[in-house]
Amino acid sequence: MSPRLPLAILLLLLQAPASRAATPRDALVMAWNLDALITLDPAQIGEVNGNDIILGNVCTPLVNYDPQDISRIVPAAAESWSTSADGLTLTFKLRGDLKFPDGRAATAGDAAWSMQRAVLLGYGNSANLTQWGFTKDRIAEQIRATDDRTVVVTMDKPYPASLILSAAFASNVAVILDREAATKGAKVVDGKSDLGNAAFKTGPVCVGPYRVTRWDANDVVVLERNDGFFGQKPNMRRIIIRHVPESSAERLLLEKGDIDVARLLTTDDLKALEANKDVRIEQTVVQGMSYIAINTVDPILSNAKVREAFRYLIDYDGLARSILPYQGTPRASLIPEGAFGALDRAAGQPFKLDLDRAKQLLTEAGYPNGFTKKLILSANSISPNIAQHVASNAAKVGVTLELEQMADANLFTRGRNREFELQLVAWYAGYPDADANTFRHAVNPDKRPEAKLTMYPVWRTGWQDLSINEQAAAARMEPDPAKRAAMYREIQEFMMHNGPFVYIYQNIRPIAVRSAVKGFVISPFFVDYGSASK
Amino acid sequence: MARGILGAARQAGSVLVTLAGLLALTFFMGRMLPTDPVLAIIGQQADQAAYDMVHHQLGLDRPLPVQFALYVRAMLTGDFGDALFTGHRVAADLSRAFPATIELASLAILIGVGLGVPLGVLAAVYRGTLFDHATRVIGLVGYSSPTFWLGLMGLILFYSTLGWVGGPGRLDVGFIDSIEPHTGLLLVDALWDGDPDVFWNAVSHIVLPASILGYASMAYISRMTRSFMLEQLAQEYIVAARIKGMSRWAVIRRHAFRNILVQLVTVVALAYAFLLEGAVLTETVFAWPGFGRYLTAGLLAGDMNAVLACVLIVGVIFIGLNLLTDRLYRVLDPRTR
Repeated sequence: MSPRLPLAILLLLLQAPASRAATPRDALVMAWNLDALITLDPAQIGEVNGNDIILGNVCTPLVNYDPQDISRIVPAAAESWSTSADGLTLTFKLRGDLKFPDGRAATAGDAAWSMQRAVLLGYGNSANLTQWGFTKDRIAEQIRATDDRTVVVTMDKPYPASLILSAAFASNVAVILDREAATKGAKVVDGKSDLGNAAFKTGPVCVGPYRVTRWDANDVVVLERNDGFFGQKPNMRRIIIRHVPESSAERLLLEKGDIDVARLLTTDDLKALEANKDVRIEQTVVQGMSYIAINTVDPILSNAKVREAFRYLIDYDGLARSILPYQGTPRASLIPEGAFGALDRAAGQPFKLDLDRAKQLLTEAGYPNGFTKKLILSANSISPNIAQHVASNAAKVGVTLELEQMADANLFTRGRNREFELQLVAWYAGYPDADANTFRHAVNPDKRPEAKLTMYPVWRTGWQDLSINEQAAAARMEPDPAKRAAMYREIQEFMMHNGPFVYIYQNIRPIAVRSAVKGFVISPFFVDYGSASK
Repeated sequence: MARGILGAARQAGSVLVTLAGLLALTFFMGRMLPTDPVLAIIGQQADQAAYDMVHHQLGLDRPLPVQFALYVRAMLTGDFGDALFTGHRVAADLSRAFPATIELASLAILIGVGLGVPLGVLAAVYRGTLFDHATRVIGLVGYSSPTFWLGLMGLILFYSTLGWVGGPGRLDVGFIDSIEPHTGLLLVDALWDGDPDVFWNAVSHIVLPASILGYASMAYISRMTRSFMLEQLAQEYIVAARIKGMSRWAVIRRHAFRNILVQLVTVVALAYAFLLEGAVLTETVFAWPGFGRYLTAGLLAGDMNAVLACVLIVGVIFIGLNLLTDRLYRVLDPRTR
């Protein structure tokens, strides 16, 4: 070692310490729990973090939801679209100024390939296309580019345009990925190309306002602005999302101004921030429902009167005052408010705590002395409080609910395997249309265990009503919006009294923002990072 | 010479058998967990076809012994596979998480030893005095207080109220990307790059979590040191040394303290090993992207690639520190040579 080295280090250490605690003026700094983030490939994303980061921020879909009214579809990467007279062909005209982050032009060929890729990869997101009749075998003909700016989609049925645009072409599978980059970075797995999945998992190359420049797992995600983006130039040059898994720590960082936005705060911390003039709290009612799923394979729980009794064990008004502030809004219908076809607020929550009614229903069902069942739930968020609330009311009518808390991964595994009696869980609709939840929570094509329709929460409960299947199929194809909405209202009324789910609340996404951050657009389906300014 | 080689070979064999046993135990126990790693990848909305595809890609449809053999074979070539719950290569994840923990644990153990040993010695020497009682109370508080709570209180006082230290995370956000990760140890990398701003900022962020972990270690080390010293100070050779005319502190330094070194090394090595395993709660409060949180998150997601790699590292740490302490015994105690 050079004798000068220790001296140099000493001199270095004697220099005055510096702090850069305040967030940079050209960067939006958010803190969030990124534990669930496992991929950034839009064809694979299946959780909240990835969707939030990618959809609309890194990858712009062909069309988008209007942030002011999510039931309206507005142009995005596609400047226009048209439907053929027979309703079987949908043609998208893409903008002429679409560019990838390196400045190369993005074409309709890239767009069509991106959608074909999602189907071929077959991850959960592929259902956004496969549920509309797109298949691995035929996808190359079903979605194709006819020139550099035109994508032609051929459907097997004349689905209402507003429905399919919302369900498929505003989603993560209808984005424009760089085919060339994917081909270069492709890996061969089991003799098949992964279509760039391994490369895009950590950094998708996409048409969008930002690009991912860094993702250190469980630490930080950094996005940089794409100056060649076709849309309005994002105000912030960088987006920095720090992994801060503890609510109190997020709150302290926000109060000190070390972050601009806190994305995971508990009710207590949010209440404490209410008095802080430097912070405002934005609450967005999202398209997620929290509910108790009832396994109707169980002989007692298969009785509709028993299930109805559970609905009278929920003190919706009390919950709204005590546990739900910042977390949810009471709702008993399977369709979240804000979606096309949803019941209005009053009709969507007609129940109230009524122990006498619950007791009467149990007696009519043949269980005057109650029974004992196990309720499984997540150990996170407010689930334990909600479960205790239900268990405490159930005990008053002789029903003993044994609560078993577990990690989310265990909870989902138990649900998919039908290994539960009662399960407290949440579900997010894929698009703001009654069709989304109807086709997962009401329609059960085959209730047999061997059918393994695990993606249908209703299959997990073993419940099935063939007339509901038919009604839902008819509603899906109804071209008249007013008639379609009326059909969904009927389905909701029926499910609210007969279905296997006791819906408790519609989820709220609370975001605490420093007052210095202006114009931040937060909609139920996407958070527009580029809209924020300081 | 030949005996030495034979001894080393025997030791290496024993290390390999221990690690193999550890891996096998973790692997088969992990497969019994009620968590399905496939769901971590596909999400709960995916259909059965997507499930079956990923299940097959992960090799989970193969018999357990085959899965284990394939894992070990890949591991021997340095391939720990992909971490399912982060989407990155396990090796890449660990190259970030482990240095973060090494840095934190090393500073914590320096604080723990630097304060714990002198306090323990003095408490033994001044047994029954106010100093002794105070040391024991401080130790008891450190030993019994939840580090999660201490961390939060520390942040509220020293970061939020007084502004003396940096907040959660390893650096202020303004320094992200300002440093080249040569070793992953931020303090070292900052010196390497000659960047005092980053160095001092990293110091301001590490000092609080390290002090809190160091406090817990200090509590343990000071209690053990006091106990070892009391045992030595009650020995007749101490009285004999004093009768021979040696000063009190010379007896303590040259005889009593030297005689507890072997035990003390074991205690310090164990404390350091536990710190290197990662302090999940401290890492959570301080948003420290370390090894403990990585291992816990991997376990909760049923991600055996990540868990097995972590277990291997923990095994190597314990075995390595054991071997090191064995060597130190020989240096410190001639009877063991």
